[in-house]
Amino acid sequence: MAPPPSPQMLGSKERSLFTQVVKNYENKQYKKGLKAADQILRRSPNHGDTIAMKALIINCQGNAEEAFALAKVALKLSMKSHVCWHVYGLLYRSAKDFEEAIKAYKSALRLEPESQQIQKDLALLQIQTRDYQGYVQSRRAILQQRTSWRQNWTALAIAQHLAGDLTNAERTLSTFEETLKGVPPKTDIEHAEAVLYKNVIIAEMGETERALEHLDAAAKNNPDRTSVMELRANHLLTLGRKEEAAKVYRMLLARNPEYRDYFEGLQSALGIEKSDVKALKNLYGDYAKQNPRGDAARRIPLDFLEGGDFREAADQYLRHMLHKGIPSTFANIKALYPDTSKRDAILELVEGYAAGEAPPVANGSAEKQPNSDKDLFKISARYFLAQHYNYHLSRDLNKAMKYIDEAIESVPESVDYHMAKARILKHYGDPKKAAEMMEEARELDLRDRYINTKAAKYHLRNNDNEAAIQIMSKFTRNEAHGGPLGDLHDMQCVWYITEDGESYLRQGKLGLALKRFVSISSIFEIWQEDQFDFHSFSLRKGPIRAYVEMVRWEDHLREHPFFSRAAISAAKIYVKLYDQPHLAHGSLINGMNGDHMDSAERKKAEKKARKEKEKQEKAEAEKKDKKAALDLNGEPKKEDKDPKGELLLQTSEPLLEAMKFITLLLEFSGRNIQAQQVGFEVFIRRKKFLLALRTLIASHALSPTDPITHEQMFRFQQSLSKLSEPLSPKAMQVINAEFNTLLPASTDLTKHNDEFLQRNHNSASHVQGYLKVRQLIDPSSKEKNQQDIIRTLALDGSSLEDAVRGLDMLEEWKAESRYKDDYLVAAHERWPEASAFKQKVD
Amino acid sequence: MAEPQPSSVQEGMDPEGPLPPASAEDRKAAAAMSSLETRGGDEEAEAKKSNNKQIDQEALGKAISRLEQTDKAGKVAPGDTTKKEKEKEEREKRAKVKVDQADVSLLVEELDLTKGKATELLKAHEGDAVKAMRAFVTATV
Repeated sequence: MAPPPSPQMLGSKERSLFTQVVKNYENKQYKKGLKAADQILRRSPNHGDTIAMKALIINCQGNAEEAFALAKVALKLSMKSHVCWHVYGLLYRSAKDFEEAIKAYKSALRLEPESQQIQKDLALLQIQTRDYQGYVQSRRAILQQRTSWRQNWTALAIAQHLAGDLTNAERTLSTFEETLKGVPPKTDIEHAEAVLYKNVIIAEMGETERALEHLDAAAKNNPDRTSVMELRANHLLTLGRKEEAAKVYRMLLARNPEYRDYFEGLQSALGIEKSDVKALKNLYGDYAKQNPRGDAARRIPLDFLEGGDFREAADQYLRHMLHKGIPSTFANIKALYPDTSKRDAILELVEGYAAGEAPPVANGSAEKQPNSDKDLFKISARYFLAQHYNYHLSRDLNKAMKYIDEAIESVPESVDYHMAKARILKHYGDPKKAAEMMEEARELDLRDRYINTKAAKYHLRNNDNEAAIQIMSKFTRNEAHGGPLGDLHDMQCVWYITEDGESYLRQGKLGLALKRFVSISSIFEIWQEDQFDFHSFSLRKGPIRAYVEMVRWEDHLREHPFFSRAAISAAKIYVKLYDQPHLAHGSLINGMNGDHMDSAERKKAEKKARKEKEKQEKAEAEKKDKKAALDLNGEPKKEDKDPKGELLLQTSEPLLEAMKFITLLLEFSGRNIQAQQVGFEVFIRRKKFLLALRTLIASHALSPTDPITHEQMFRFQQSLSKLSEPLSPKAMQVINAEFNTLLPASTDLTKHNDEFLQRNHNSASHVQGYLKVRQLIDPSSKEKNQQDIIRTLALDGSSLEDAVRGLDMLEEWKAESRYKDDYLVAAHERWPEASAFKQKVD
Repeated sequence: MAEPQPSSVQEGMDPEGPLPPASAEDRKAAAAMSSLETRGGDEEAEAKKSNNKQIDQEALGKAISRLEQTDKAGKVAPGDTTKKEKEKEEREKRAKVKVDQADVSLLVEELDLTKGKATELLKAHEGDAVKAMRAFVTATV
């Protein structure tokens, strides 16, 4: 990556030394490089290029600030040196300021238009920042410098393709093909891939006819048979040549009879309407017969069959699966459960099996086991029923427990059954027992990574982070920097870091929680960065269709639910820190909520916590001293200066920190109502009323009756009426016009709130929303609200989560303990196993 | 039942063949190494490859000049013409709109926009700040 030397004003000895510096840099021999550079500088202290190289090396050693300062000195000395500009760009690039880096590269290129290295570096940044027009230009320049490399042609085509210029992309590919003297051999993968890539481009232009012709002519011997056939089937279907399309789909199904897309393709090729159940049944029946061990052809009909037909098919399917004791049977079936009639039919069937009414019909299975066969069938049926009653759409935990206990009794060594039991306990609201049960399951098979992972997760749900990491460590590289947790970060084990953070959040350890969520965010950044490797790698190795797909995928990276989950939690923590700044220091008070203490008590507690902390830190420091931290190469490891996230907590601008998450959340997960709602909380505190209004409009569009949005609208209204200084008239005009459609200014708020209750009086979360708003409108209603919230516990549909939220509301209102006690008693009565209400009653 | 694994044994470890890079740093090192390898070897390998591929150097020369010609011709494909013209018209219309700097500052402040984006938004709404902001707050999801 280093710029070629341009050793003006140097003697021959220095010139060779300079070459040495560049080589040392490329080979990462930084100390040698620095030494050589200093040697040059002794003779010619004002040699800009050498100073620039020195800056580059210093930057690689991790001292960015000094490097930048030095690079500036170099530039001042030789403004006309492309080396200095290139280095300047490289420094910006490593500081991730791509915009400035691009500018510096461009300056370097103006001075040295022939430099391939600078041109390449520039191109890389342009594609990374999605400056497609710029990228097309750069790729064209690179191509002109070396026309004989196919990858340069392909790269230009990709640039044009991504820039939306399909016609020229195709022309570029064709132009190169025309220069080939003969047809490349079959083994030329690069050529094969380029042909299919061209075909995709032609199809994207909408010229399906031509795409089909091209495919038939050019891709006959293409080694990627599957892609050729899939493209062909697709083109034929698009062109309405259904008979031929059907033929290809049948060929594809012969290769892979479990792929649903092929079945769907075949359905449309045969012109079977979704409503033509009879024809569908025949089609899938044929395939089921052809392929007696297959799943798709049996499972898909359950989606469209109804009534007696459904019952018959489900009966066959379930018998077949349960007969073999396939553990994933329920997971494969539960997608049908939103349809209550199907749910009922399935329940009736499986309850029948479990009771042993009808003897199972052997379903042509060859591997019939002599005696245990019938038993296995019955036990599998019980396992299925346990999962059925554990599922949220058909939950009856007592029944679930009964069935799983029976199953475990029959097969005491089954990991699956114990795992199901742990899940049931979790749904009872007892994370401790659930974790113990999962642990029991884990001990049944210590070599199984899946159950190991599951057990760790359940420990985290039980807020036992120590036990969790202990278990994870059985499958991590523990000599990695930072131990098992460090390895989990290196391996980007997103689920664990998320669950760990959420666990700390539940415990009120905000620093550690925030630390984890910030880690998630940086993992996503790394994924974005990882593209850099592929911009050049994919061209060299040739998987360009996958590369284009990857580039498009990266554009939507932050839509991933793992990102929004961590981002929402992080933003919520920042909001909390803004509201209660003392949490930044007092969160170590054993997870206790600082709200309940008066200031003297708090000070005392904080002091105590500080002392304890100091003690801990001292102990840890001693530990560290003993193990001089060296990594594998014998170099000192980079220490994490903030292992507990305390520095993160002490930010002076929590709301601006939150914006780092909110901006991405709202851009990529706008359809997630929680994202909008946490966005509101940040904007309203920043007094960005228009942006807060924007989230309200979005939430309202997503769910007009959402109880949190209901409450937020009232708070918006209230904040507006209590403004310390008036908003600009234009902003006010916008609010008047747009907020009016949500909550007209003339509305009688109390009445509006009452109506909200009327419409949703059977839902606990809506009643809670109503009570929150009533408290806001009329603080004197507190007494009544504290009593009324207990009633939500008796509502039919109210869930354990609702009840826990209600408890939080009482905390928020600082309710007297007798209300809380009443609430706990009532909640305990309804959810006797739930630990959230248990300990406090005893 | 099964014994716990010794700490040196990892899941999926393959005694033969190279281990996958185990840490982020290793991965970076591997990436750096492969890029080093290619820097030197790439050109030679490519040069060999291109010989094998029977590339006609003369034809390449012609091809590249053809490519340049189409570039100069404005590289407008027939299908894109109408779309591009429309865009151009739109752009010209927007360029004419006059924007009050006070309105730009207002949008920057209220909507967390950059100056450039704020100006663009105003231009798209005939320079009317209220219209622009209304469009912004309602254009969601």
